[in-house]
Amino acid sequence: MQSTTAETRVQLNFKDWYASTRATADRPPLSPEEAQRPFARYYDEKIPPPDPAHFAMMHEPCDPARAIGPERLNDLLDPGELAVEIGWCNLPNGAGFIANRMVYPEVTAEMVDWWFAWHPLENLRYRIWYPPQHGGLMLSPEGRRRILDPSIPNREKNWGVVHHVTENCNCGMENIDIHFLSPQDFGFDMARWKEPYVSTFAGGFGWAVSVNKTDESITAPALMCHIFRQHPQGLEHRTRFWMGYRMSNGKPELTLPPGVAVPAAAVQGLARHNVCEFTRWGEFLPRIYREFGHSMVC
Amino acid sequence: MPIKLMAASRRRPGLTRAEYQRYLEFYHGTIARRERFRIRSYVQNHVIDGAFGVLEDATHQQVCERDAVVELQFDSFRDMLETLEPATPSAASQDGRFFADERTNVIVMAEEEEIPVPAPVPAFNPGLGIVQGVGALKVLLYIMRADEVFREDYYQYLREAHEHALQQSSYAREQLRRCVLNVRCRANDNDAAARKHFKMVDPPVYDLVMTQWYDTIEQAGAFRQYFEALRSYPRVFANWSKSFYLYTRQVVIIRDTPES
Repeated sequence: MQSTTAETRVQLNFKDWYASTRATADRPPLSPEEAQRPFARYYDEKIPPPDPAHFAMMHEPCDPARAIGPERLNDLLDPGELAVEIGWCNLPNGAGFIANRMVYPEVTAEMVDWWFAWHPLENLRYRIWYPPQHGGLMLSPEGRRRILDPSIPNREKNWGVVHHVTENCNCGMENIDIHFLSPQDFGFDMARWKEPYVSTFAGGFGWAVSVNKTDESITAPALMCHIFRQHPQGLEHRTRFWMGYRMSNGKPELTLPPGVAVPAAAVQGLARHNVCEFTRWGEFLPRIYREFGHSMVC
Repeated sequence: MPIKLMAASRRRPGLTRAEYQRYLEFYHGTIARRERFRIRSYVQNHVIDGAFGVLEDATHQQVCERDAVVELQFDSFRDMLETLEPATPSAASQDGRFFADERTNVIVMAEEEEIPVPAPVPAFNPGLGIVQGVGALKVLLYIMRADEVFREDYYQYLREAHEHALQQSSYAREQLRRCVLNVRCRANDNDAAARKHFKMVDPPVYDLVMTQWYDTIEQAGAFRQYFEALRSYPRVFANWSKSFYLYTRQVVIIRDTPES
C-alpha cells in the first residue's frame, strides 16, 4: 500500500480529472497547497524569451522536400545533421512536420530522464516548466504507480505511461494524451542505439482535442520525438513532430482523411511553442535538478 | 494495420428479426458486394440471443435490443473514409433506413488485437489441425468503461480480468477457440464520418468489444461461465449495467481467402 504523499494526494479519477480540465485551462492562481510546495517559486520566475534568430526560423515553412517522414526516423541516429534541423512544413501527404534543435550547455542525459519522470506527478510541476501555456497534467493511478516505483530506472519509468496534458500550443487549450514509448516501441533501430549517436530519448504518440470539445471536434494524432546526444557545447536536443500520424501496431500510419492537410497554423503553433518551452526548460532544468533531482518525491 | 468499423444495429419498427436479417444479408450485403469501394472484408453477425446489463439492475439502462453487428474492415483509415464518404453518396449509405433503426446504432472504430487461447482446436475432433480459431458461435461482448477509470488502466485491468476469468472458468478454458480484442481507435473520436453514414444520434461510446468464438451454440454456457468470472475480477474497470453481449451467427459478405 502506497503511503500518502503530495504526489499521490493529487490523484483524480478520470471523470473528475476530465471535468476539471476546463478550469485548469484557465491557468488559475496556485492553490494554498501548491503555493507551499518547495518548487512553487519557479512558477513566478521570469521566463526567458527564445533567441530571436532561432524563433524567426519558425516564421515561414521550410521546403517539404528537405523534411523527413516518420518512416525515416532512424536517420536521426546518423552522425551529423539532417537537412532540416529547425523548421516546420506540411509534407506532400498533408502531415505536419516539425524539427527543432537546441543545445544545452549545462544539461545532462540524467537530468532529462529525471525530468520526464518527475514532472508528470503534479499539475504544478508541469506548470512551472512553461507557465504561459502549460495548464496541467494528470496520470492514471497505474501510471502514477509506475512512475513512483523505485525499482524502475528513471529512463524507463514513462514507457507505456500516458501523460494527460492540458496545454496551449498556440491554437487554444487542448487536452493531449501523450503515450510515452520505449525507443524500441517507437521504431528506433536498437542495434544503433548507443553513444555517440544517442544519449537518451523521450517520445511517443499523442491525441489532442480542444478542452472545449464539441460533437464536431477533431481528435488529432501526432508522433513526438525528443532525442538527445552529446555535443561539444553540451547536450544536443533534437525534436521531431509528425502531426496527422498515429502509431498503429508499432508502425506510424497517416491518419488524415483524403485530401486533408494538418492546418499550417497548428503546425507553426506547435513549432513556436516548442521553441519557447524548451528555451525555458534548458535554462531551468539544471537548477531544479540540483534541488530535487535525487528523488521523485519532495 | 487494418482498421475496422463495427456497427451494432436493431431492426426498424414493423420488421421481425428474421425479416431484418434476410434484408441485411441478401439486399444490403449484395449492395456492398456491388459497391465494394475499398472494403477489405465485410462480415455480418446475425444475433441469435444476448443479454444487456446485469441481474442486479432493476431495469435496462440502455437500448436493450440488437439484431446484428456488421464489421467492415479496411487496410487503412484513409480507405475507410473514402468508402464511408464517397464523392457521391453510396447506395449502402441510403439503404439502411429500409431495415434498421439507424438513430440507435452503436459504432466502434477499432483495431484488432488477438489474444492467444489455450485450445484453438477441439480436442474431440481436431481434424488435421490446420485450421484453428474458428467456431460457429461468435460472441460479441461490448464492455462499457467505468466513467472513473482512465482508458489505459481500463485496458490493463481488462486484460488482467480476462486472465482471471480463464483461470476461474475451466469450461471456457476448454471451449474458447479464439479471442480478439477490438480496441477503440481514437482516430476521429467523434466518429463523425461513421455517424453520418449510420445516422446515429448521441450514441454510447464503447472503448472495447471482445469477440470470442466457440464451436457451436451448445457451448454458450462456456461463455456465460467466463462472463461471470470476468465480472468477479476485483478491480473496477467496467460499467456492467451498460455492457452487453450477443450470441451471433457469422455471415461472410466479402472476404477474400488469404494467399498464405
